[in-house]
Amino acid sequence: MSSEHHKPPRQLGGELVIPILAVGFTVYFFSTIWNSPWTAQVSAFMVGGILILVCAIFFVRCAVWLSRGEASLGFGNLFTMDDIRSGRIGLLVSTVGYVLLIDRLGFTLTTFLFLALSMLILSKGKNAAFITMVSAAMALTGWAVFIWAFDTRFPRGWFETTMKAVLTNG
Amino acid sequence: MDSSTASILVEVFFDTLGYWYIIIPTIFLGLIVGGIPGFSAANTIIILMPLTLALDLQSGLVFMISLYCAARMGAGIPAILVNIPGTAGAAATPLDGYPMAKQGKGQQALAISFVASCIGGLLTTMIALATMPILARVGFYMHSVEMIVVMLFGISLIASIAAQDMVKGLIAGFLGLMIGSIGTDVVYATPRGTFGFLELYDGVPLIPALVGLFAVSEAFVIIEKRVIVNHDEEPKTPNWHDTFEGVKIALKRWTHIVWTSIIGLVIGVIPGAGASIASFVAYQQSRSFSNTPEKYGYGHPEGLIAPEAANNGVTSGTLVPLLVLGIPGGATAAIMLVVMQFHGVSFGPSLFENQPKVGYGMFMAMAVSYVLMFLTILPLSRYMSHVTTIPTIYLAPMIISFTLVGGFVPREYMFDMYLALAFGVLGYIARRTGYHVAAILIGVILGPLLEKYFLWSLKKSDGDIMVLFSSTLGNILWVAFALSIILPIVFGMRRKRKLEVPAE
Repeated sequence: MSSEHHKPPRQLGGELVIPILAVGFTVYFFSTIWNSPWTAQVSAFMVGGILILVCAIFFVRCAVWLSRGEASLGFGNLFTMDDIRSGRIGLLVSTVGYVLLIDRLGFTLTTFLFLALSMLILSKGKNAAFITMVSAAMALTGWAVFIWAFDTRFPRGWFETTMKAVLTNG
Repeated sequence: MDSSTASILVEVFFDTLGYWYIIIPTIFLGLIVGGIPGFSAANTIIILMPLTLALDLQSGLVFMISLYCAARMGAGIPAILVNIPGTAGAAATPLDGYPMAKQGKGQQALAISFVASCIGGLLTTMIALATMPILARVGFYMHSVEMIVVMLFGISLIASIAAQDMVKGLIAGFLGLMIGSIGTDVVYATPRGTFGFLELYDGVPLIPALVGLFAVSEAFVIIEKRVIVNHDEEPKTPNWHDTFEGVKIALKRWTHIVWTSIIGLVIGVIPGAGASIASFVAYQQSRSFSNTPEKYGYGHPEGLIAPEAANNGVTSGTLVPLLVLGIPGGATAAIMLVVMQFHGVSFGPSLFENQPKVGYGMFMAMAVSYVLMFLTILPLSRYMSHVTTIPTIYLAPMIISFTLVGGFVPREYMFDMYLALAFGVLGYIARRTGYHVAAILIGVILGPLLEKYFLWSLKKSDGDIMVLFSSTLGNILWVAFALSIILPIVFGMRRKRKLEVPAE
């Protein structure tokens, strides 16, 4: 009983993100089909209507918990200081960088840079030589299998162009 | 089956065994391409099309079929070990496979999956061979109305997943269905919810959704731990005992393998239906009629057997309409059709009279591939399970980079990589705040299909909703669907009552 008494209130801020996104997206979706033929509307109105209803039930439930003091609007289950300490934010930033740069720098070079940087962030700078070797090996293996052997249309850049010229001209 | 057919089958079986030097390397290639999201068997066969066309007909067919079977099985390996299904057909595999890996039973889970896949695939190949004329007709009877009920069998899995917190589960499932509605409608091609992106006019591509929801979000979650295996689980050195234990567990549940693989076979013969539908339906039915439904989702072997047996059942099912009617049941079967036509093979019932070795040879290639896969892959489970002990500081970035690029491969749009990242963020928020990513994915996969069949039905009946109850087979399926929802509730109440009696 006493342990229940000391239980920290449920952090609802994070839990509300998805229902709010869901309602926002559904309203936007409805706005795009408002003047459309019934074939475009029927299924979306059914599914979207149920989604809004279920979200409304969740909002009411949250309001009840908040009024009873059993919950707060905190975001503790979504963001904490641990996200910075563990390197999660750093990993997110390097992932965004990877996606943005791969089209310009090509698969191999961007993959090497991304792997090396994110592994260094997560290991807090330890084993830099080992990480550089692993990253280079992974990126080169990826190039050899996907681009050289299978000729898939992975994004290509300076490294791929140079290697193609070297392999073609000997 | 007359004696001449039997002798042809025996002859073709031994002929196909002679192609072991093609089958075994192809199995390993299939495991790799099946395991990386974006690289399906269909993509690989297209990439290697010049090679396939250069080979003689029999070698080309053996190559394509063994690649198809191995890729199907390979998709389950990362699903079990790192919670990343290689294809949408393996999307139900991590529901119980990954919890087993986290409990330090990755090797056992792989062995269970391999046995279920091989037995399921082998058995359904034999059944398909024996009942080809009957199975080929299934496609004729399955119209849009019947398909709606089949979709509902799969979508009802959302409710099971939502059992712990019904409201949040339903929010996740219906959000997935709503995301699945993005794109143009199937009748008038009106764009809906596309945010103005032309890349979304064809709907949300599945691989970026799969990569984001499972792989990227998982990579951001696993960095909390040093390795994937739970801290409180005893670190174990991989040993043969775990493999044999997995085989024993799977063989003990042979009836489960049989009926869930038959679900896959029947769904596989329906053109347009696929492994993802089959695995969700099989998982849901397995859970509904289990004596221990509460164990599902926490590493229950039956929850792993059902999707794996079913999605391998689909592989043999897709061959039936291809060979008997010339209608490909899926993308890979369509490519096989092209290759066979290049070699001058004509389809239909005459195939088995004019070129019986080609017709039966495809099924035999499948059977031989499953036998050889069992012998070559099962021993490797011991080594594959090492993945769960790789420190996450190395594993997480590798998962992110290779799966994000996998998201790019099917359509070769940079947009798909951005989309995968966006789904990754959504998946991460969902995981951290108690929404089930599998429920979202079920909606994204099955939602567009359900809508398509629903609209076709309404269009054919001039908007009369009663069309949903207008066919005999459809009504039988509706009753079966209602029973599959009601009976587990009744059984559950009975079990509860039985448990309460001794306490009183």
